[in-house]
Amino acid sequence: MGQGGLIDRGGLADRGGLADRGGLADRGGLADQGDLMRSARFRREREAGWRRLEALVAEAETAGLQRMSFAATRDLAALYRQATTALAIAREISLDKALLDYLEALTARAYLSVYAPRERLGGLFRRFFTIGAPQAMRRSWPFVLIGLFCLALGALTGFLLYRESAAWFYVFIPAELAGGRGPEATTEALRAAIYDQDPDSSGLGAFATFLFSHNTRIAILVFGLGAFLCFPAILLTFYNGLILGAFLALHVDRGLGVDLAGWLSVHGVTELAAICIAYAGGVRLGAAILFPGDRTRVDALRHAGRDAAKLAIVAGLMLLVAAFLEGFVRQLVQERDARLAVGWGVGLAWLAWFALAGRRSR
Amino acid sequence: MIGRRKNAGRRGAIDRVPVDRILPPEGVPLTLRVAGIGVRLGAQITDVLLTVAGAVAAFILVTALGVVGPEGAFAIAMLLFFAIRVPYYVLAELIWNGQTLGKRMMKIKVVSHDGGPLTTHAIVLRNLMKEAEVFLPMTLILMLDGEAPVEALLGLAWILICLLVPLMNRYRMRLGDLMAGTHVIHLPVPILLKDLAVARLPGSANEERFTFLPHQLDHYGAFELQTLETLLRVETGANGPWDAGANGATKAAIVERIRRKIGYSNPVAPADHGAFLWAFYNAQRQHLEQRQLFGDRREDKHFAEQEADR
Repeated sequence: MGQGGLIDRGGLADRGGLADRGGLADRGGLADQGDLMRSARFRREREAGWRRLEALVAEAETAGLQRMSFAATRDLAALYRQATTALAIAREISLDKALLDYLEALTARAYLSVYAPRERLGGLFRRFFTIGAPQAMRRSWPFVLIGLFCLALGALTGFLLYRESAAWFYVFIPAELAGGRGPEATTEALRAAIYDQDPDSSGLGAFATFLFSHNTRIAILVFGLGAFLCFPAILLTFYNGLILGAFLALHVDRGLGVDLAGWLSVHGVTELAAICIAYAGGVRLGAAILFPGDRTRVDALRHAGRDAAKLAIVAGLMLLVAAFLEGFVRQLVQERDARLAVGWGVGLAWLAWFALAGRRSR
Repeated sequence: MIGRRKNAGRRGAIDRVPVDRILPPEGVPLTLRVAGIGVRLGAQITDVLLTVAGAVAAFILVTALGVVGPEGAFAIAMLLFFAIRVPYYVLAELIWNGQTLGKRMMKIKVVSHDGGPLTTHAIVLRNLMKEAEVFLPMTLILMLDGEAPVEALLGLAWILICLLVPLMNRYRMRLGDLMAGTHVIHLPVPILLKDLAVARLPGSANEERFTFLPHQLDHYGAFELQTLETLLRVETGANGPWDAGANGATKAAIVERIRRKIGYSNPVAPADHGAFLWAFYNAQRQHLEQRQLFGDRREDKHFAEQEADR
């Protein structure tokens, strides 16, 4: 520890002071009780220090370490170490249960205050966004790419299968997700769904509804399933791709391919990327269980968990942004090219964050 | 005093697997009792009630502002609950060093499993996993509206399995605890009771009234001594441990038992029972502590047999 020297010096200076303070009260008593047994003398000599530690711990727990004075925190650390030593000695020399229980509890309380997390919240957020998250993303590139690959493969399969027979559409896409958009719908109806002027379905209500929509469910499931065994996550990502492919094929069939791409791009770039990232996080956990390498499985899981938690936060953040784009921006921007620009622009911004942030300057 | 062989054996079995031990960087193991399911559930329910109250207040505010129509109301309520809940757990445990308000109420606390400091990563991870374990599946089930029974059942099974995980390990760790390397403990309360050896008889002449010979002190071990200590604390009369106290009959029985065991021939008057026990406690403790200093640690009255076994 970097501050070891400081605390030691402080402790030394203080030890004399404490002995004095305790001594004044005790000296009279000690004189006529010189025949006390060893463990009782041991307790007599140190009790004042323990009482002070008790008061300091109470102060640290209620007011917080940040608001304590320098001298108080210095004493807390020094007295804590003295109390640990006293506990170790007392276990050897004393059979006084009251003393042992007290010291045990006091040391434990002091330990919990001394080893408290001492990070400031502002610094925490900044570190996550500038260093933690992008670095975790860069460490997980292969997994994100595999997720993207599964999605793309699913989309291609869906697209080709729809070309073969339009009936596949009903197999892949649940009715409530399609929302009346299917092979039997007219081209005008499809176009109306893409360039929607209905004001009711925009705003905060839509934002919240979309957030808990299909894709969020998929992202959560993919993460959860990946954590258990990679296989269901791969399957689910592939299935999500199938839906996308069939949907795309339907619109390409009607000559609305580019319009749909614009409609999807606004939020889809962000949302599908979020699914891939959730997939990467889940599969990293699953891979740690399946292939722990030199570590034990629990250790490997713990290690992978460091990145997986960050990926989950990033994916959650992206889903939030996607819901915002879907709820507000898509209704505001009705032109096809503008939609494409917004969607892919946001996607590029994500990519820049992941690729560029948190690199060490050489 | 009344420690039976069977009891001693069971204590030994627990000692072999010290669940409650944590090794801080100072290298002196500390005892921190692992919190049970009931206490943690109580803390959790308190926290859920608090966050729901916050969400309801926010929801009323949003509806009063008239931003939402009725169609998205449920989704918005869920969203508000989510937006209040997730930061609440993480920030509370960061600010209060591993305690949410519910945990503070129940006097329990999150600690790092390996004895090191509680890291931010551990706090974030264990609380995010709480979402994945219980809250999100619950939300999904509520959003499904019973139209997909298979998915709802799967979600329920998922929640149940996650709730059973703490019962499977000795540290009562959730899935999130397992991944973050943390577990939850009872906060110990330091109370320093008076040292019975220091509390003295009113007249120092009393000290000489009972004397014990070394061979009379070779019958009992630390367990019996500490049992006697507990009794003396509970049974202490108004004037101190030498007072007869309220429960004279118990003391008389114990005094008789000790006298027979150690072969103390002088009779003890009923008024002196408290004083006898106190004097015996002092003599026995001094003797045992001295033996311990010489490396002869006597756990209980069966120490002689244990030594023969070795």
